[in-house]
Amino acid sequence: MSRIKYLNHLLATKQISCVELTEKYLKEIEKENKTLNAYVKVTDEAALDTAKKVDEKISKGEPLMPLEGIPMTLKDNISTKDIETTCCSKILEGYVPIYDATVWEILKSQNAVLLGKTNMDEFAMGSSCETSYFGGALNPHDTSHVAGGSSGGVASAVGGNIAVYGLGSDTGGSIRQPASFCGLVGLKPTYGAVSRYGLIAYASSFDQIGPIASSVEDAAIVYDAISLYDEKDATSCGSRYKAYDVLANSIKGMKIGIVKEYFEGIRDDIKASIEEAAKVYEELGAEMVYFNIPELKYALPVYYILACAEASSNLGRYDGIRYGYRTSNYRDINDMICKTRSEGFGREVKRRIMLGTYVLSAGYYDAYYKKAQKLRGAILKAFKNAFRKCDVILAPTVPTTAFELNFTAKDPVETYLTDICTVPVNIAGLPAVSIPCGFDSEGLPIGMQLIGDSFREDKILNAAYQYEQCTADRIYKKLEIGVRL
Amino acid sequence: MVTRDDVLKIAKLAKLSVEDEEIDALTKDMIEIIEFANAINNAVEDAELEDFDDINSVVNAFHEDEVVESFDRELILKNRDGGEDGYFLVKNRLTR
Repeated sequence: MSRIKYLNHLLATKQISCVELTEKYLKEIEKENKTLNAYVKVTDEAALDTAKKVDEKISKGEPLMPLEGIPMTLKDNISTKDIETTCCSKILEGYVPIYDATVWEILKSQNAVLLGKTNMDEFAMGSSCETSYFGGALNPHDTSHVAGGSSGGVASAVGGNIAVYGLGSDTGGSIRQPASFCGLVGLKPTYGAVSRYGLIAYASSFDQIGPIASSVEDAAIVYDAISLYDEKDATSCGSRYKAYDVLANSIKGMKIGIVKEYFEGIRDDIKASIEEAAKVYEELGAEMVYFNIPELKYALPVYYILACAEASSNLGRYDGIRYGYRTSNYRDINDMICKTRSEGFGREVKRRIMLGTYVLSAGYYDAYYKKAQKLRGAILKAFKNAFRKCDVILAPTVPTTAFELNFTAKDPVETYLTDICTVPVNIAGLPAVSIPCGFDSEGLPIGMQLIGDSFREDKILNAAYQYEQCTADRIYKKLEIGVRL
Repeated sequence: MVTRDDVLKIAKLAKLSVEDEEIDALTKDMIEIIEFANAINNAVEDAELEDFDDINSVVNAFHEDEVVESFDRELILKNRDGGEDGYFLVKNRLTR
């Protein structure tokens, strides 16, 4: 049984009270967070207040909603009213939103117990969580390795058993990569399936909120709950197919695509793990289809050009005037804005703003931004053609397992290259789930991705669940930290 | 190739002030990053590509032009120590 369902059962049958459960988690956070650095803020009072409300409901014999009373966390770029939200940047230190992100409004209405806000790369720009102003989150499987990024804190917390599930955001792999590094399930929904209202923007046409959980079932429960149409987000569509109800369906006859380009430059042991998974799928009655998507070779530069262009515009709002950090010494307004931004942003954020400004500037716009937009269209078209040949695509999530600490000290382009398998999905706005598929020789988790056509979260989660059911004992490792269920 | 002057120009456009000791490292990073971005210019000719519009072909999401409740001015100013007389306060720009 999934953790969410198990805890829901324990609460409903009064085997544990919600306050007891919440206290258990808070106690373990106090202990484990010193090492993991998963949480940047713990909201114990609010958590216990919600828990009391849930206990009252239980004592009155009222039925519980699926996520009611379940202790969870949010990445620190998801706005929470009256709770500091910093994007792990100095420039937003002390910023307290005056409204809730829609996803949190939905979960709050279900009495989800928010334990705190979790660590991330500054403004979600990074692949190791190490560009965080508060220092990086560590990998619960081996603390000499990073949890991944940018939603590293959520993955570290869920993997370290100090949250049942969490919501992250994925602009170029930021949910799937840390999920892969920490042996978890991470779902990046279709662009538009989950409302972005209240998600502090990095690159608006790529960003999506989604769950990181310890099983496919949990990810599906959370996805179904949060994928609602929202009039506050102009690009919102809501989900078209609910995922949870179809998890147990047979995948006999399902066509699974293997795209050659996804396996170039991938470490051999990871390649082998995914080939193993393909065999499992064949045993389950799925049919493997092999083909190429040559357009994928442009995915990385297209992603970095467009995402940074959008970031340079989105991050223009941080001027020190209305909220967040403001420099103390300045001559005039312009000086104040420049100094505030230079002192408030970290190095990687500045680099991406500069790249974005460059590709949008006069003389370079056509060669970079416009060309990249056209290639984005070509990549989208190529994926649409691919889904005429297959139902889902099976691919690695990351070319390696979790990086050793101080990864971001390396040169920027080397870091960008590790996003090779995750960015295509964001370019085309498709849904993809990363699930564990084994361990490397050091015992670090390996992840694989199932990619679907737009709004077909049901298909990828169905395929993920079927694989998980027959491999669970070799893809998950129970860690002896945090709350043990 | 990106030069030191380019970096200073971009920084000015991006409203970032770059310290002298940062310029060389930043120029080196930018050269590398732009070179990486240049991969797309070896791609197919522009003419062979169609314009890209929107991921989900969503058309404008209009709603009725009705006045709805908005945020309280005081609430908005809370993140800047309450502001002054209902405004955000910055240093004088003009002197009398």
